[in-house]
Amino acid sequence: MNALQGKRKWVPYVWLLPSALLIAVFVIFPILIVFKLSFSEISKAGVIGDFIGFQNYIDAVHLPAFKTVMINTFWWVISVVGISTLLGFIVALVLNQKFHGRKIARSILVFPWATSLVIQASVWNYIIKYEYGSLNNVLLNLGIINQAINWRSSYTVEFIWECGVGIFVTVPFVAFCVLSGLQSIDGSLYEAATVDGAGFWNKLWNITLPLVRPSLTVSTVLNIIYVFNSFPIVYTMTKGAPANKTDTMITYLYMLSFYDRKKGPATALSVIGFLILCVCAGVYMLSVMRKEEEQ
Amino acid sequence: MKLPELKRQNRRLLFVMLLGLILALVLMSLPLYHFTASVYTKKSGNTVVGDEKYQTVRAEVEALAEDYRAQGFDVEINESVLERVNSKGETTSLVTFSIDQVISRNLFAFLQSALPGGHVFRLMLACAALSVLCAALGCIGEEDVMPRFLSRRAAFLRTAAEVLALLALLAVPVFVMMNNFAFGRQLSLFSQGLMTEGKEALYQKMNLFLFDGAAGEAIEDALAGIKPQHSGMIWLLLPVFAMMILCAVQIRHGAVKSTLLKALLYAFVIVMCLVTLYPYYVMLITAFRSNAETLDMYFLHLFPTKWIWSNLSDIVRRGVPRYLLNSVFVAGGATLLAMLCGIPAAYAMARMNFKGKKAFLGFVIMSQMFSPVVLLIGISQLMTTLHLNDSVVGLMLINAAFNQAFAVWLLRGTFISISPEMEQAALIDGCGTVSALIRVLIPMAAPGIVTALIFVFINAWNEYTISTVLISTAANRPITVGITQFSSFNMIEWQYLFAASLLATIPVVLLFMSIEKHLTAGLTSGGVKG
Repeated sequence: MNALQGKRKWVPYVWLLPSALLIAVFVIFPILIVFKLSFSEISKAGVIGDFIGFQNYIDAVHLPAFKTVMINTFWWVISVVGISTLLGFIVALVLNQKFHGRKIARSILVFPWATSLVIQASVWNYIIKYEYGSLNNVLLNLGIINQAINWRSSYTVEFIWECGVGIFVTVPFVAFCVLSGLQSIDGSLYEAATVDGAGFWNKLWNITLPLVRPSLTVSTVLNIIYVFNSFPIVYTMTKGAPANKTDTMITYLYMLSFYDRKKGPATALSVIGFLILCVCAGVYMLSVMRKEEEQ
Repeated sequence: MKLPELKRQNRRLLFVMLLGLILALVLMSLPLYHFTASVYTKKSGNTVVGDEKYQTVRAEVEALAEDYRAQGFDVEINESVLERVNSKGETTSLVTFSIDQVISRNLFAFLQSALPGGHVFRLMLACAALSVLCAALGCIGEEDVMPRFLSRRAAFLRTAAEVLALLALLAVPVFVMMNNFAFGRQLSLFSQGLMTEGKEALYQKMNLFLFDGAAGEAIEDALAGIKPQHSGMIWLLLPVFAMMILCAVQIRHGAVKSTLLKALLYAFVIVMCLVTLYPYYVMLITAFRSNAETLDMYFLHLFPTKWIWSNLSDIVRRGVPRYLLNSVFVAGGATLLAMLCGIPAAYAMARMNFKGKKAFLGFVIMSQMFSPVVLLIGISQLMTTLHLNDSVVGLMLINAAFNQAFAVWLLRGTFISISPEMEQAALIDGCGTVSALIRVLIPMAAPGIVTALIFVFINAWNEYTISTVLISTAANRPITVGITQFSSFNMIEWQYLFAASLLATIPVVLLFMSIEKHLTAGLTSGGVKG
């Protein structure tokens, strides 16, 4: 090892420097800016004024849509992460079986993961249009329904659709994470269990689940973070309309700062979101670090 | 291997299959379809239900209905009541009496009528019958042979019996759907005058089917208010055919449970693939439809009637190549930068010992946690200060920074998995550390590097949020932002939106497929999502 490093102690830091610089300038610095702005007075034109303490935070909490948006964000994260973890797990179990066309199925499952979220959301937007959408068209032409159905009859239904699209694009990620965990399981474990007379559920509960738990933890925590941060789906499908009823925190703060010109409360919201993420990130880092130490 | 018990069982199974076929035939000959066509209507305004005027009209209609019944028609009287308040403020009703003719048909009537769905029905019948026949033929002479020692002929025939029974089962919903389509949607479009193509032919067939050709010119009126209902009985065909499949499976494989589980597995995979591909199917066909067709409520096809290739040349004229080029530049530049910074860092993390190694690892993982969206305001402020607002270079830098974590993490894992001996040998031969890295380690780590490279590229290519905020000049837009110009608030040009989306999607999907395997391995060690 030391042959590569030489005797000079500062050498490793030179190797790290470009990477650290990139992260510091474009990730850490914006965090500091947001923190500073959240305690400053910002005019509608964006001019930054004096230090005003927690006024921005108080304004943010008293925004009329604050409560709705928080509740939406909660449901958005819980439903998308929860359901896609469950579905992804099932899909991974299926893809781990031997069958003809497994490679093709795996390649197809990559599609939603590789596609840009704006594009995915635009397509679903077209699919569920009432008047001429593809879903009504296909169902009518297949004779499954006789009357066009209004798929977006209320904002609740629209929000459920948004969650559905979120689940659709998240399942492949979970599935591939779990699949890689499944493939590292030693097949002889199952054989031994079969000899001992264990059934399907027994094996699932006592062998599969404990052994894929690390991958499942990684994918779940990462999903919480990414789903929380997700912007294009809600923005493309409803833009939070009507009256922020379908907004999540991320789309709301975008609207606040770039449409409503309320940069002050928006920065405060950013910091709140940042702190929530910090908690998740902490949990994630702990679990990753622990895994590192095990290896 | 001969087993008398097996012989008995096979005979019993064949008998059950035959029974299933007979049961299906019986079901088909029952009058499962009812059509209600109104032959006479009478409206009575300004009445109250039960008053004198109502009674008179009612009697009149009833007399007429009796006439019809005397002629041998099966008719019933329906009335609908519409309440309204007249100018004097009194509530009165408009009562509409109608004499409806109920026409019942069984499934065999379809065979003569040549209505859409008839051939599916024929196929269903033929499959069910052939299935029994094949199973019987497959058993002749080998009734008592264990499934795995069957002759090739018998095995083939028994497999054919399974497949045919499955086809018969699948034909049931197809048949019902085709019927619903013809009697529901197509008829309603015709009678509302929204479509005329193929109207005459369908009317003629319906005339034959419903009225034995007696309606003649009046068929249009007769069909205008028709309400088709099929009794749920038709779905009983499903369990009947399912039972036949089970018998066929038992005859062919002996083990029903494992065969069915396998079938279930395939069914799940097929459904999963169809659902996953559905949006891409929509994207593909919409990209080649004309604007009128994309907005057509009564589009009766699953594919464009004419593939409009000029959509592609239209989007070329509206700046899409420029956006694609910007995307290539942003994603390519970001990838290059992320690699140039990431490889040395990953190398140091993998091969060197120093203080603060863990802290740096934490720092890198932390940075991965924050999507640019939460920091949007900070980033836009920073970019204004750096005069990189509205520039492709700015986008490139941000994408490189936010993908740094993954690059470092995945590369570090790859480097660790390669033994350092080769590099040490190179060092002893007089190479510097840098040239050892470039000449020895990088070629060996190529798969991992390519994976990281492609993943960063795709992430940067698909990035949308930061670009919408930072880019205001049209010429600087990457493709993800560029496509939104086709969906303004009051008009969405779906065909252009999806044609451009298609161009933006195909390359990344192909790239992603090529690294899927390596990425899966790197994921659980690195754990990063795009």
